Amino acid sequence: MTLAGERRARSAASAAGVVQEFFDTYRRQDVHTMVDLCAPNADFSYLPFEMWRKQIVLRGDGKVSTVGKPIWAGLIHAFPDLTNEVRSITADDNGNVAAEVVIGGTQAGPWGPIAPRGQAFSEPHLFVFHVNEENKIDSITGYWDNASICRQLGHLEVD
Amino acid sequence: MTASPMTGSQTGSQQVDPVAQFWRAIADGDVDTAFARVADDAKVEIPPAGILGTAKEGREFFAATVTAFPDLLLTIKKSFTGSDGATITELKLEGTQAADYLGAINQEKHLDIDQVWMLRTDNGAIRSITGYWDQNMLYRRLAVKRLDQVALV
Repeated sequence: MTLAGERRARSAASAAGVVQEFFDTYRRQDVHTMVDLCAPNADFSYLPFEMWRKQIVLRGDGKVSTVGKPIWAGLIHAFPDLTNEVRSITADDNGNVAAEVVIGGTQAGPWGPIAPRGQAFSEPHLFVFHVNEENKIDSITGYWDNASICRQLGHLEVD
Repeated sequence: MTASPMTGSQTGSQQVDPVAQFWRAIADGDVDTAFARVADDAKVEIPPAGILGTAKEGREFFAATVTAFPDLLLTIKKSFTGSDGATITELKLEGTQAADYLGAINQEKHLDIDQVWMLRTDNGAIRSITGYWDQNMLYRRLAVKRLDQVALV
């Protein structure tokens, strides 16, 4: 009984630790190490990342290596002081982790349709991760209110 | 009102129960039953809707949601309960607009939006509700063009 409880606590704690390390690395803007914390074929979904064009809808869905990495690098390029504050991390013993994180930065370059006006944003996010048995992140899903970020950056068109 | 398919993985059934019952009641359009499990002084934080309050504000938000989308369909994609007792629920909310909603005029548009909710429970009562989604995505579905002219068609 005690051993099972301890094993469960360690498992949840280790998964939470991987996610904490991920955001510490993100705060250092070390995209390569962020990717290294993920499994090679890790799934990636930033649901608010949706841009409607005439013939196509671009979405932030795919793999960490091909979609997540360029998004993270692009964000850091557009917001050179990009940082984060982890408010809470919740984990279970099956590798499921949720993190409430405030992400913010000052815009110095274009970001999608948003032209730089020197404005800053600070916005709460909730990320849902799955950490595998090798302590690698194999799934990332991000939720936040992009309308709030657009308002803070002075971009008032929905598209 | 369409009941939620309530699909996806669920763990920690004893802790999840109040939360599962909350979402089942919301899917059934029964806000009173849903909030019977929510403490009056529960902390309710729904940033996309501009809500930072208690059960009263939460109840008003969900009442407006089931009124605006009478054919509401909730699909639970994933739910788990962490070691600290917080239950995370990822869901898709779908429905056809039948009344003004969060400032957007009713144009009878179909809404489908991905949301994540964190509910914390204590002794069978829901003590906090936090929700996230992208309001730009919601506005896009409801044919809103500008953030400073939400009520204009």
